[in-house]
Amino acid sequence: MIRVILSFLLLFFYSVTKAQIANDSIQRLDEVVLSDVKLKRYASGFKLKVLNDSLLKKNNSSFTDILRFNSNLYFKENGYGMVSSPSFRGTNASQTAVIWNGININSQLTGQTDFNTINTTNFKSIVIRSGGGSVQYGSGAVGGSIHLNNTLSFTSHFDNTATLSYGSYDTKNVSYLSSFGNEKLSLNIGLNYIDSENDYKYLNTDERNDNGAFTNGSINANLGYILSEKNVLKLYHQSFIGEREFSGTASTRSLAKYEDQNFRTMLEWSHLGKKANSKLKVAHLQEHFKYFGNQNTDNYTFGKVNTYLINYTADIDLIKHLKFKPIVSYNYYQGSGSSFDDPNRKEFSTTALLLYTPSPKWYYGFNLRQDVNSSFDSPLLFSFDVAYNVSDAYKLKLNGSKNYRVPTFNDLYWQQGGNLDLVPETSYQVDLGQELTYKNAKFNLNAFYIKTTSLIQWQPNGSDWSPDNVDKTQNYGIEASLDITKRVNAHQFSLQSNYAYTVSEDLETNKQLIYVPYHKANINLAYAYKRISVFVQHLYTGEVYITPDNLSGPFDSVDAYQLTNFGCNYQLLKTKSQQIDVSLKVNNLFNTAYENVAFRPMPDRNFNFQIQYKF
Amino acid sequence: MKKIILSIFAMSLLIVSCSSDDDGTTSEPLGAYEDGIIVSGEGSFSLPSSVSFISEDLMTSENQIYFNANNETTGGYLQSIGFNDDKAYIVVQDGTIKVVNRYTFEKLTTISTGLSLPRYIAFEDNTAYVSDWGDPNDTTDDYIAVIDLTSNTVISTIPVSEGPEQILEESDKLYVSHKGGYNVNNVISVIDTSDNSLETITVNDVPDEMFIDESGDLLVLSSGANQYWLTPAVITDAAITRINLSDNSIISNLEFPSGEHPSLMTYEDGIAYYILNNEVYSLVDNATSLPTTSLFNITASNAYGLSVNDNQLFVTDAGGFAANSTLLVYDISSGIETNTFSVGVGASKIYFN
Repeated sequence: MIRVILSFLLLFFYSVTKAQIANDSIQRLDEVVLSDVKLKRYASGFKLKVLNDSLLKKNNSSFTDILRFNSNLYFKENGYGMVSSPSFRGTNASQTAVIWNGININSQLTGQTDFNTINTTNFKSIVIRSGGGSVQYGSGAVGGSIHLNNTLSFTSHFDNTATLSYGSYDTKNVSYLSSFGNEKLSLNIGLNYIDSENDYKYLNTDERNDNGAFTNGSINANLGYILSEKNVLKLYHQSFIGEREFSGTASTRSLAKYEDQNFRTMLEWSHLGKKANSKLKVAHLQEHFKYFGNQNTDNYTFGKVNTYLINYTADIDLIKHLKFKPIVSYNYYQGSGSSFDDPNRKEFSTTALLLYTPSPKWYYGFNLRQDVNSSFDSPLLFSFDVAYNVSDAYKLKLNGSKNYRVPTFNDLYWQQGGNLDLVPETSYQVDLGQELTYKNAKFNLNAFYIKTTSLIQWQPNGSDWSPDNVDKTQNYGIEASLDITKRVNAHQFSLQSNYAYTVSEDLETNKQLIYVPYHKANINLAYAYKRISVFVQHLYTGEVYITPDNLSGPFDSVDAYQLTNFGCNYQLLKTKSQQIDVSLKVNNLFNTAYENVAFRPMPDRNFNFQIQYKF
Repeated sequence: MKKIILSIFAMSLLIVSCSSDDDGTTSEPLGAYEDGIIVSGEGSFSLPSSVSFISEDLMTSENQIYFNANNETTGGYLQSIGFNDDKAYIVVQDGTIKVVNRYTFEKLTTISTGLSLPRYIAFEDNTAYVSDWGDPNDTTDDYIAVIDLTSNTVISTIPVSEGPEQILEESDKLYVSHKGGYNVNNVISVIDTSDNSLETITVNDVPDEMFIDESGDLLVLSSGANQYWLTPAVITDAAITRINLSDNSIISNLEFPSGEHPSLMTYEDGIAYYILNNEVYSLVDNATSLPTTSLFNITASNAYGLSVNDNQLFVTDAGGFAANSTLLVYDISSGIETNTFSVGVGASKIYFN
């Protein structure tokens, strides 16, 4: 019934469209440059935080480190460089969606993205969107979503950046970025290779991280071509090939090894029409892993999923102040692996996004989505958001949504234990944000509430384990952030700070969920003067429980920790067309013994030296 | 990853009956854990294994005794513990055996070279024999590691068939139940320790729990295969088999009705006790058929370990492996639950020190 209504709704909007001529030049530019326009235009009532490429290039950190020092996200990392799972607002890793140029790339096998298999080289920006986004971004956008965006610039340019770095534990990193553009063609490519022994010392013990070496390479290449004034063709590609040893725990040795291969390719055709802009995307994603319990043997288990996607969307100005964006999408997932046969899943989804801006002060968004899925019933999803500019200095944002996380291939088809009767996890949430801007300072305060039902959990079932829709949880808390920049003559200061208080509890026991810290805070201080810049970043992560009993102790919790990094940068050369930077970074400045995950120690003090040449 | 976890959990883990072999002649206390119950917890994928202690009078208990004595954990997936003289040998599936003083649990040494995926340990004089799956994905590399207890090194290996599980020593012979590891096996290996010669006895599928009964016969519980997820499904009957050790002949083979797959059995004074669907049954040595009525029922949500001592039945309830397990103590004559204790995550083995 709902589907019928939605289809009618779509038809209705199409037929009554008295579309405005979409000649707003900014809008046109967005269409050409961005792949994910809805992130910019249909998210007024959501908290967005943008990390731009200068930050991504600057401090040569893993994606996990960039986010844990620059956002409210909390990470569980099984030792440095190992599997890294994010958590937004006390939700879990499969309730965090990772979006690559508008497409959800969470694994169909595990439902989550391992953040240590993402290389940020060559992304123009990373956007952290807090709050539910399943209507726009599909399964898993429950706590929030992380957006990896490439842009294609059609201005005349030819820029190159070569970076070499060497650091502790024999860590070598080479990357090369090249970007070329003219009014017809835009091309950029990023190559990155990293190799590390990663054999750091476990502080206060005689042991080292003996089985933790990793190496990976990635290619990120994007091409845009303006066919005519009205048609633009773009091709995005990303490859990641990685091999990691999986380190053991403080007192368990490991011989395990894990290989990842991810390939993502998307072809996009934008048509800029008089009444509407439309966009057709075709994409192929492949994820493939091999797990070797003992890397000295040839025995492994594997999983592989191919995703084929076709997506059509239009941006229509219905009437003055009212924008409409319908999206229809068809996904076909085809899996194979050692623990299941060859399951596949088909998914058709229809989405309608509406944006009403009656005055420059008010934004209203209302969005609906319905999926039809070959494996289970999907709920009707909605979201609404409102933004109100009280004054130039004060902005209010409110959003509410119903979101979902679908069962993964592992949940459904795993032999033995997979449960074909699973339904998607569903979640309702509201989020109220305030944004205060004063001179060079910006202060954000958000309060949120999330209630999730039918949480999928694997439990013992006789001698097997099997997943079921069992738990109910609620999350609530506040997030605050403060950004200040100040320039006095040639001296530039900046401060960025985030704090989150998060309660995430099981509604039956009223106990805090495991691996959710009540408190997490970070602060980044930077100072630049002429050719020199220095920064200090500091992180506080509160104690987390590791069992549902909510007790403290070595077998029940992971201690709170504080961590400080320091870095400095010097411009050796700066001319109009060339620039050479050298930088040194000290991680874990105070040599603190800490863990993210129980009994999995993190690195001691370590150093990284980098030289970067731009031409 | 999950495959490993599941495979490990899918193997229901039974209890070595450990006859109380302290000599009882000492007067000075040998350590805090001299008399009492030792419960080993396997741990889980995310939580480490541990060892718990409960005093003989069931008045006090202490968790994580190995950690408390050594400030390190026993690692992931503690499979079993063997006791020999004044030492305990903690067998951990990552390929290590931690040798500790059995009364203080202070670590003496670690044996790691020559072990891959060790399961159980048995002793004869100054030698230990450890069943080892080798690479669990390889069906042909399973072995019994022979360890010299003076040097604590693996001195040789005896190749055996897939998935050697429990191992016990009787009159210079080793008896090994081949549960089958990741697969299904149906033999008991008999190894003559004088020349390492090997014989096999065929029993029902998935033999695991073994005891020597009052008449010196070998009692084996086979769970039967239960691979319902395969096409076609592989489901075979469970049985309790009694074997005459003088000629390895089968005295009796009591099969369970199809669909019943008991995996926990223990033995004391002429009576075997086993659990099926939370009911406790008893089987006397000369029984010619399986009992039709149970002694009493238990309340475990996930009965994961079983042992008997002095007319008391000890059952571990591992729950969902997310938090501590519970040790339940029953008075066998009345069937009444007399005590409960919080013990380590995934508690699976109960020993009497």
